[in-house]
Amino acid sequence: MAEFFQALQQHTFLQHALLAGLFASIACGIVGTYVVTRRITYLAGGIAHCVLAGIGFARYMQVVHNWTAFHPLYGALFSALIAAFVIGWINIHAKERIDTVISAFWGMGMAIGILFITKTPGYSEDLMSYLFGNILLVTRQDLWIIVALDLIILVTAFLFHKQFVAVCFDDEFACLRGVPAHLFYYLMLALTALTVVLLVSIVGIVMVIVLLTMPAALAGRFCGRMSSMMILSALLCALLTSSGLALSYGPDLPAGAAIILLAGIVYLITITLKRNI
Amino acid sequence: MNSPYPVEVEHLNFLYGDIPVLENVSLTIGEREFVCMVGPNGGGKTTLLRLMLGLLEPQQGNIAVFGAPPVEGRRLIGYLPQYAHLDAHFPVTAFDVVLMGRLGKTRTLGLYTKEDKHIAREMLGRVGLEKLVKRPLASLSGGQRQRVLIARALVSEPKLLLLDEPTSSLDDYVERELYDLLAELNQELTIVVVTHDIGFVSHYVKKVICVNRTVYTHPTSEIDHDIIHQMYGQHVHMIRHDQEHHHG
Repeated sequence: MAEFFQALQQHTFLQHALLAGLFASIACGIVGTYVVTRRITYLAGGIAHCVLAGIGFARYMQVVHNWTAFHPLYGALFSALIAAFVIGWINIHAKERIDTVISAFWGMGMAIGILFITKTPGYSEDLMSYLFGNILLVTRQDLWIIVALDLIILVTAFLFHKQFVAVCFDDEFACLRGVPAHLFYYLMLALTALTVVLLVSIVGIVMVIVLLTMPAALAGRFCGRMSSMMILSALLCALLTSSGLALSYGPDLPAGAAIILLAGIVYLITITLKRNI
Repeated sequence: MNSPYPVEVEHLNFLYGDIPVLENVSLTIGEREFVCMVGPNGGGKTTLLRLMLGLLEPQQGNIAVFGAPPVEGRRLIGYLPQYAHLDAHFPVTAFDVVLMGRLGKTRTLGLYTKEDKHIAREMLGRVGLEKLVKRPLASLSGGQRQRVLIARALVSEPKLLLLDEPTSSLDDYVERELYDLLAELNQELTIVVVTHDIGFVSHYVKKVICVNRTVYTHPTSEIDHDIIHQMYGQHVHMIRHDQEHHHG
């Protein structure tokens, strides 16, 4: 631990990593609360895995067709938003079993990503960092993108807090009161897509769903309101990412895996305790 | 000109796919009536309710809520859904839930206004829960939760209160208290209660609408053995309500 704090003063990459975790926690606390209370964890998992398609496509276009400005993060945003909209639309309009539909997208997103990455010369080693994240590779530019996404999420969540709470609790009643419940459902999925992309750069596609839902699930055991649940889960997310990062630094372990394992263990211990609310 | 009926249905037909659920339904619900909609499960009560709320559209016939199509008229309906479809552990307080009834009346952007909060607090007092404002919904009893949901329906200043199975999970004593509250609200509002529990039909209700694919309307005094047979078929255990309820 002492080693981590010493290194933190010297290395900017470590400072970036810590900041990335702290900034991402804001989005994570807000959107994680929606995902857990509205019970769309599996849907969020589906969106996360579709992100690989966008990353793969962006990488391929960058390398093969020289689209240098097409940062993989933009590809990730693009594919996450499309996946959120399409899965949301099917959920509302088609009378299909939604978990089966999500599974199809889950796998197809991964498959498209893998196809593009294998056809991209020289970069297949990147696959590991997309899948499992590498918080130590976060650049200054990435940090700015994270802050911008945070602001979008924070402002939207504040302006429409009333409607989001009502739609999560009882969408039919909200609709009868004149709230466009479908619109807010799409908006919630879009915010979920943005947050997933944010968290992918920290813990990677495969583990993102744990970081998105565990802090909110933990907070939900102690909070009686949506707003306090959001604040507590943001704090828990910040605590979990920072301590995961610190613990993994000394023994040179992958930070993403350390963060996820820590979050999972804390959650599992808590559910054996008595529920407060 | 007279003000339009809260609910007016004319020759309405509704099918789910090829299956007729409601056939040639005509009925009116007048202002400040206290109406009970009864019938067996699967008889079409919920469908009729959803038609009134504009959540379904009839294939044939007309339905009007306060003289307008239900999608518009429903602004004047306060609705209490079945509690079973809500999440018992959802992180909201009684106050948060009641405030949701202000949506559509309050501003679109930002938090609820002082006026919204004032109205919500007052309404929680009216249903007898002023001391439980900050309590999480999950920690309330079944009867208290129903009162919270009634307060949520009332803060939108409705003219018609529509309650779907409000007493299905309550014991008799709490059920009677709830009907006392509804009788009081009936001084100002039209009330429609949906129930499959015909045992509840008591002196509170003036009119009974029996829904089993077709619809018959009866004053409560006419409900007898023949009508119940007509609705439910042969093997019904009938409960008589000769005794008056005692009030506290």
